[in-house]
Amino acid sequence: MRDMTQAEPRNDPQPKILHMAPIWRGFIWAAAGFIIGDLLTVAVDPFRGNPLVTEPSAVVGWVGALVGWLLGIGGYEEVVLPLFGFPSTWVEPKNWRRYFGLSTSHKVIGIQYLFSSSSIFLVAGLDAMAIRYELMQPSLHFFTYSGQYLAAVGVHGSLMMFGVGTVAMISGLGNYFVPLMIGAKRTVFSRLSGLGHWLLPFGALTLIASPLLGYWDTGWRGYEPLAMQDPGGMVYYYLGIFAMTLSTILTSLNLAATIIFYRTRGMTWARIPLFVWGILTVSLLNLIWQPEIEMTFVMALLSKLVPWNFFDALGSVETYLSMFWLFGHPEVYIIVLPAIAMWNEMIPVMAQKNLFARDWAIIGLIFVMMLSGLVWAHHMFTNMRNSEMFPFAFFTEMISIPTGFSFMAAIGTLWKARLRLTTPSLLILMSLFNFLIGGLTGVYLADPPVNLQVHDTFFVIAHFHYTIIGGMIFTWIASMYYWLPKLSGRMYNETWGMILAVWIFIGFNGTFSQMFLVGLEGMNRWVPAYPPYLKALNYDVSLFAFFLGAGFVGHAIHIIWAWRKGPSAPENPWHAKTLEWLASSPPSEENFPGEVEVVRGFYRYDHDKPSAYIVKDQPESN
Amino acid sequence: MAEALVFAVIWLIAVIVAEIGFHRIQAHSMYYTISNQGHIALNAFNFLSSWLLPIFIFVVLLLIFVLIRFRAPDNSPKPSSVQTMRNKWYILLWVGTSFVLNIVFWLHPTAVDLETMFANWNHEQKQHPLIVNVTARQWEWIFSYPQYGIQQAVNARGQDELELPVGRPVKFFLRSEDPFHRYDVYADVIHSFWIPAFGIKEDVIPGETRTEFLIPQRVASYKTSPLVRVQCAEVCGPGHPYMEAPLYIVKAKQFHTWIAHQKSLQAHGA
Repeated sequence: MRDMTQAEPRNDPQPKILHMAPIWRGFIWAAAGFIIGDLLTVAVDPFRGNPLVTEPSAVVGWVGALVGWLLGIGGYEEVVLPLFGFPSTWVEPKNWRRYFGLSTSHKVIGIQYLFSSSSIFLVAGLDAMAIRYELMQPSLHFFTYSGQYLAAVGVHGSLMMFGVGTVAMISGLGNYFVPLMIGAKRTVFSRLSGLGHWLLPFGALTLIASPLLGYWDTGWRGYEPLAMQDPGGMVYYYLGIFAMTLSTILTSLNLAATIIFYRTRGMTWARIPLFVWGILTVSLLNLIWQPEIEMTFVMALLSKLVPWNFFDALGSVETYLSMFWLFGHPEVYIIVLPAIAMWNEMIPVMAQKNLFARDWAIIGLIFVMMLSGLVWAHHMFTNMRNSEMFPFAFFTEMISIPTGFSFMAAIGTLWKARLRLTTPSLLILMSLFNFLIGGLTGVYLADPPVNLQVHDTFFVIAHFHYTIIGGMIFTWIASMYYWLPKLSGRMYNETWGMILAVWIFIGFNGTFSQMFLVGLEGMNRWVPAYPPYLKALNYDVSLFAFFLGAGFVGHAIHIIWAWRKGPSAPENPWHAKTLEWLASSPPSEENFPGEVEVVRGFYRYDHDKPSAYIVKDQPESN
Repeated sequence: MAEALVFAVIWLIAVIVAEIGFHRIQAHSMYYTISNQGHIALNAFNFLSSWLLPIFIFVVLLLIFVLIRFRAPDNSPKPSSVQTMRNKWYILLWVGTSFVLNIVFWLHPTAVDLETMFANWNHEQKQHPLIVNVTARQWEWIFSYPQYGIQQAVNARGQDELELPVGRPVKFFLRSEDPFHRYDVYADVIHSFWIPAFGIKEDVIPGETRTEFLIPQRVASYKTSPLVRVQCAEVCGPGHPYMEAPLYIVKAKQFHTWIAHQKSLQAHGA
């Protein structure tokens, strides 16, 4: 297995005993890296008044910090040494400490991602609470400066997009469950993947720290040429997102390779589970579009530092917008594809009913993936050539067709089912409802004349929160409950699960359904102060938003409680047929006690025959 | 089959009730709309709403139906008694409907409305429209009326304002530049010229000149509806929330009085 490149791996006679937790060493090395990079830069490129931190020095210092951080959390022993032909001296602890350093186990990495992503969700969520508190009054009363509010909006959006939306289900659940679901014992690039996780907290901290360099005010899209005249915080927006998207790229590379090459015997393409299809399509999207936005950000960063005039009146402003949305629209499908795949993963299990029209559900995922690159300019109806509206309106409307296939399969499965009403199935039904609203309001936005009125208003904010929170976050929580017995061997409390599900459903719909009205009534985006006639609705929205926020915290507390103290769960509590339920709960280091051989598809409930067997005492293979 | 029939009947009744309800309020679905352009948007909005309502009700009703009718009495893992994996009529109907609906939506309202919009613009172009030069800077809207030699329309306190005669086509020229800092290439950013009551917005982009046509249809001001205002809709820095200007739509006679007043203000160096 690991004998190809490394001379003497883990069993080195003198393993390195770290006296410090890798994460602390990472912090110290990162600080050292920052100071070295920063001071070198200000020495070479001093600025008038000789400040110790300038925009260029913050960038070089950041690169130094990133290198220090990645080496410090274990990259030095586990990646650099083997790269130069030395044996790796890295020893993964066997206890909880392994979660606080570089790990090559896909399950540890998955949980690291889930933890990081949940923490980012908390921070960005508190940020949202601050935003909603500000908007309870029509004038600045909480934030002290408009730029401060806008920086909060930008940090909220960027963290949620790049630290939660593209991470929780893909890097978190994907890393943990994809290998299990295809019967693999490990992933292809496990070391790279282990290193990749640590880019995420680093990127998130970069974004959280960005206001220290000045309140940047472009929101999560970094529109030029405003970004060029913005304070230094803008620089950490580019770099923070760069690190977070790089983390996603590494996960996608690893998971796509794993799905293609490490499937167990009998796991043919026709038998690949729905969630795995979701992760595969989304990985391809990530591999195509995340590098595109990184390249754009490098250009924008250089344009700011040098400065060049790529994207201002002397260059081409609209090129930035197109380059941003060329990635930006696939991004929303990156977020939602694993979720809509997960609906059809869970519904057949909860209903103990054959999955209806499985091929259509998969074709839907694939076509959404392909069409998502053809619709970007509907974000630019207010600033594009009129003739260009036709094709983009066309493709934008068309993409609802393959998205609808997932609904078709879900509804076909639910019809005449015997649906067990558990917390996951309730959350899935809610997610179907929310995503339906998100999707249908998208039809309005696809129509240019309507778009020209509601673009850049709270109508749009409501629309995309319906797709992202309503579609993806609800499904993420459903998946957490669904897989909790597998992750922890324990069960949650059904009553509390249901109460909390209804809680966030009310909070969510109360918040965002009213935002449609605020938008139609003339509330534009990115404003900490607004005309007073909008106060009543905004006040109401905020109250529901706080309720929603409390509901999410409630779910987090409940899941953590169940993870640690919940009653023991049976081996296969839902009677699901996918492979992860063949492993013990939580799965062992090698996932399965032998080789897995798949003999049937996973979504048939009209017979009792098992879908796979474990073949014990298999000689070393692949 | 019986279940499908019951479902279909409930769906039909719900759709009829919802459509009747919606048609009562549809004139106000965008709150306040007083331009020809805005009415295109409003009609499109209402058309889409009344066609999407049946779909919305279908799915929501189905979810409710599932919760009531197809809910397992207990959580024991018994397989469902029906195990259908394919129903070609349902699939055909679903896929067919979604194709047809999307093509319909693209033809109408999208293509038809865009063509109407462009045709209106061509028509209004020939009707000697009132020309208003709109300059967006950080953070101010500046309105000038070249046909009347007015460089910056302001009220008695020197604050920018936009005044339009009712019923006359207007052509806006939109530019993003700072007339007080023309030497500074970094000073210009994207703004968005939005008059909520007119139902249209257009981004104002540095280095480009955009045009916008419309006909205001009613005498109105912020006092009539707060949607009657000029508002920057694209984030343009910390001053963005305050980048708004009052708009008055007045009768032709009043407009000429106002023009005369502006001329005298300008002559006295206001």
